[in-house]
Amino acid sequence: MASNGKDSRTSHGIVKVIVRAAVTLLMVTVLNFTLFRVLPGDATSLLLGGARAAVSNEQIEAQRRNWGLDKPIFPNQLLDYMQATARGDLGYSFKFRGQRVSDLLLERLPATIALVGVAQIIAILCGVMLGIYAGWRRGGVIDNVATSVALALYSTPAFWLGMVSVVIFSTALAWFPAYGAYSPGVSTEFLDRIVDYLRHLVLPASTVALGLIGQYVLVARAAMSDVVSEDYMVTARAKGLTSGQMLMRHGFRNAMLPVVTLVTLNLGYVVAGAITVESVFAWPGVGGLTVEALNARDYPVLQGVFLLLGASIVVANLIADLAYGILDPRVKQ
Amino acid sequence: MNEWSLSRRSMVKAMLLGSSAPWLLNSTAFAGSCDDHVVRLGVTSSPDSMNPFATWASFAPTAYTYDFLVGIDAQRHSDRKGFAKEWSVGEDNLTWTFKIWPDMKWSDGKPASARDVAFTYNYLRDSIGRPDELNVGWNNTSGLANVQSITAIDDETLQMVTKVPTRWPVDNYIMIVPEHIWKDISYADARGGFPNDPPLVGTGPMIVSEFRRSQFARLTPNQYFRTGRPATAGMILNLFPTVDSIAQGLKTGDLDYGFGLMAAQWADLSKNPSIVVGKSRTENRIFLAFNTLSEKGAGSTKALQDPAFRDAIGYAVDQKAIVDRAMRGHADPGVGLVFPAATDYYSDLSDIARHFDLAEASRRLDAAGYRDNDGDGVREDKEGKGFQLELITSSGGGSNGAIPITTLQLIAGWLGQIGVPVSVTQLDDSAFSARARAPENGGGGWDLLVGSNWLSPAPSDLLVLGSSAAVGTSNPSYWTNEKFENLLAQVNVTVDLKTSQELLDQAVRLIYTEAPYIVLCYPFMLEARRKDCFEGWGTNDIVSAWSYFPFDRLRPV
Repeated sequence: MASNGKDSRTSHGIVKVIVRAAVTLLMVTVLNFTLFRVLPGDATSLLLGGARAAVSNEQIEAQRRNWGLDKPIFPNQLLDYMQATARGDLGYSFKFRGQRVSDLLLERLPATIALVGVAQIIAILCGVMLGIYAGWRRGGVIDNVATSVALALYSTPAFWLGMVSVVIFSTALAWFPAYGAYSPGVSTEFLDRIVDYLRHLVLPASTVALGLIGQYVLVARAAMSDVVSEDYMVTARAKGLTSGQMLMRHGFRNAMLPVVTLVTLNLGYVVAGAITVESVFAWPGVGGLTVEALNARDYPVLQGVFLLLGASIVVANLIADLAYGILDPRVKQ
Repeated sequence: MNEWSLSRRSMVKAMLLGSSAPWLLNSTAFAGSCDDHVVRLGVTSSPDSMNPFATWASFAPTAYTYDFLVGIDAQRHSDRKGFAKEWSVGEDNLTWTFKIWPDMKWSDGKPASARDVAFTYNYLRDSIGRPDELNVGWNNTSGLANVQSITAIDDETLQMVTKVPTRWPVDNYIMIVPEHIWKDISYADARGGFPNDPPLVGTGPMIVSEFRRSQFARLTPNQYFRTGRPATAGMILNLFPTVDSIAQGLKTGDLDYGFGLMAAQWADLSKNPSIVVGKSRTENRIFLAFNTLSEKGAGSTKALQDPAFRDAIGYAVDQKAIVDRAMRGHADPGVGLVFPAATDYYSDLSDIARHFDLAEASRRLDAAGYRDNDGDGVREDKEGKGFQLELITSSGGGSNGAIPITTLQLIAGWLGQIGVPVSVTQLDDSAFSARARAPENGGGGWDLLVGSNWLSPAPSDLLVLGSSAAVGTSNPSYWTNEKFENLLAQVNVTVDLKTSQELLDQAVRLIYTEAPYIVLCYPFMLEARRKDCFEGWGTNDIVSAWSYFPFDRLRPV
């Protein structure tokens, strides 16, 4: 019976977390709709070619009717938007005429996932390992160097790192391409194309990774520093465990809680891309699409991008909440 | 100790990895070398499709694939013709006859004739007045309402009859498309849904054969090009979000040509021995506009409606300082509406031009009744209200390039010195265009505006800043004048160049005297090319802004 009660409490907790995520997502959707419409400016001129050709008022009105912009924003346009979003219909792009927003997002997502995904993996592996080691050997040379470098990286804008890396590794050393994801038309060989893609990926992925490594090092080091001074670590040493055993069996797992939170939340940004880095390297991902849509006041695409970002962060939060329960039995209780 | 020692296996792995590095770093698959004879360009545009009826953004690269009938370059240069080999206008100044190049072919091998030209123009003209009128893209209906008929007399002869005398038949820049591709495309699709996916079919020297949105367009030589297949192996147009990548690409040798460079990048590239920099005069003009509205959307003071006030402000603006300090020397100082690039119509207005003189500006303001009566250092308008003008501009500069903020700071400084304080507001492109619209569309309410305007050198475009039909779009000062309107109407129905010049000169002098605009400068286009791979580039203008020159005649070095 006691076990059933605990299970029921756990299920109740999970349902609560999921409901909270759903409500957040709903709010994100409404905010997403409202935000772009309170900005000054109107998409009608874009739909009519930037008003460079002679356009009559009737044609302007016809375009507004065609795109549903003639209806009141609240509640008509909002309701239309909510219903369509619920059906998975994100609408059509103003700028990329005739293109579904979902198609545009799907077209750009692979490049973004490759860029941010690879960067996250590098950052997690390097950052967490370095942070854990620095926290374990507090005050040592590696700790001092890693903390200083991590602070510097954490406080440096990613786009600046990107520009510096272009100047060094592309312009001066000519090791890697400075922009784009492909070298157009140079080779049709599959292996060449893969290597070409990877070469283009090196600089932007390293730039994003460097920005993230700083965060991971600092959080992992702080977590490990706390763990090292815990009583159970002293007990472990008294039991005769080696440094490696203490680190792996007791230190690492206990230090993982804040690190997992950070990793999970950062994973939420994988689909959103790294807007400034994608701009510096002309990387054809979701970040670049966001910039183009912002410049063109392309509401449907902007809504799609921000909905995707909002949803991925809400889901990442949800996973973090659930993972906490698995990593820390106290949370489950 | 053991945890830091390297095992033999890990040593071998490291050596294997290291041995692959030279291959990865030096693979010829990625090198931007000269060996493939492909010309690489960098541009900051973002084409959304290859359909010239649906978008303005695809001029590069579609201008390398499609010909204009005549266009601007063909009138300026005898060796840069378009679809027509020769053209003439009848004595009635209404009937134009165009001789098409004999035996011309589309890039798919089918005959290209006067019938394709007639189809293109009639396709556009017949859409006029329909709900899906073709008025949203580069190929649009503008000007076609004045055309009575467009007829292919035979395969090599086209006749265009206009309703009024106009030079539009030779000045327009509509891209000629093949009838056999476009005849079944509905207006609704041509306006938006039809992407015109590559490979395109055109008569230009380079055919768009691959397009990756926001990445690149690849073009291959047109084997049927009328002067012979181009000597290069094609072109790649790299599409960038910022011009920084273009400057880097030129340095690394990944790009052969780039334009739209910033002054600092241009100066940096000019020191590179492998690079030739150039600057070309353009049809761009940067101006200070006064809000001349008197009712809805009017500015903060009625003085803005007074030509004497505007004229006095004109003496407080130093165009040379703007060129030297804001544009870093990369512009001509502004005077009248017509820029030096419009060689047929340019006049420096030296007999009536204002000169920078703050004392003269103050004297004129005093004479016009705008004095500092309470001695607080700020002049009052005729209603007794102290001046505090709002000067707005766009932070992005739209498609014409950013306007340096120094320009506005200089103007605010000079006006402050003559007792007319100015506050500067920078808006994003969309917010700026919303405020610059006609008052019935929600615009107005500002005092001064710094903007730019880049159209063609045709008379109607030169005078558009004062056109009543363009109020709130290309005429942001909202200024209208009956005499100016009459002159504009006459220019629009004049074919004779000399008469056009005279009418235009009158209109330009009138608007200069009325001063709804103070033209600040005519910016140059900054460009650069590498000299290691190709020859045959232009000298003054490395690349034409109005045609595919020199990509039809570049040769590998």
